[in-house]
Amino acid sequence: MSGYKFNIDPRPPKEEKIAEHRDFGKVMHNYKRMTNPLYLTPLYRYRKVFLGLLLVLVVSFLISEYGDEQKEELKKQKQDSIQKADSISKRIKMDNGGH
Amino acid sequence: MSLGQSNNQDLNRYHQSKEQIFNESQIIEEARKDPGRFGILYEKYYRQIFVFVFRRVGDEDIAGDIVSDAFLKAMVALPKYEAKGLPFSAWLFRIALNEVNMYYRKTSRQRVVSIEQTNIGEMIAEAGGEKESEENRQLVMKLMSTLSPEDIHFLELRFFEKRAFAEIGEILGITENNAKVRTYRIIDKLKKALDKTST
Repeated sequence: MSGYKFNIDPRPPKEEKIAEHRDFGKVMHNYKRMTNPLYLTPLYRYRKVFLGLLLVLVVSFLISEYGDEQKEELKKQKQDSIQKADSISKRIKMDNGGH
Repeated sequence: MSLGQSNNQDLNRYHQSKEQIFNESQIIEEARKDPGRFGILYEKYYRQIFVFVFRRVGDEDIAGDIVSDAFLKAMVALPKYEAKGLPFSAWLFRIALNEVNMYYRKTSRQRVVSIEQTNIGEMIAEAGGEKESEENRQLVMKLMSTLSPEDIHFLELRFFEKRAFAEIGEILGITENNAKVRTYRIIDKLKKALDKTST
């Protein structure tokens, strides 16, 4: 099968269609986006990105805080259990010595 | 009015005087410093580039998207543009053609080739064939369907768009002489095919 579709004596493009697509403002907008990437543009200019980033930061801060609290609690529990075990072993020793 | 006729009107705009080319180079210099100035070139060449792309894709909406991408790429690449005494349009056509090629690579759709019957006749005459007949026209189209997209570009630019070899060279990124040699090599192929059928 041929890889080409031959348009014999084709009609010219419709003028209204040409006018519809002619938009330098759009090209300029895309140009600015392309040449001024996100990392070079002040964040406050992208409200959604700024808010999203803020949300991510807050959530990660809360998670890390919660993690720290959990760690502290675990540490405390461990210390308590060690102390308890110590005191029990001391009592056992004392009990054994008494006999 | 067929696309061929309207295209010829656009092509007349290609031939520019040295003064016009100089004025254009000044606008290009300004656009390098202030991208907003590129709008002048955009407005000047939009229709020509649109028709050029439309001939190769056969759909206004697809052509519109490709033309937007082509102008955007031209704006980004403007600092690298080197004026070679040819109108700026040749460089724009090259970018547009690259965008068309990229479109076909991405979509793997069937390539559209716009041809005018009168120009097929000229091609047959160039190949030394007898006067155009329906049989010869069919044969030329059959032969064209076996050519590579690159060879098709040469025929489109030379016979269906009536471009000068210097411009064809600039659009395809080769020398004027190379453009001439490659076009006539394709015509030779055509001549051989036509000779075979007539004997």
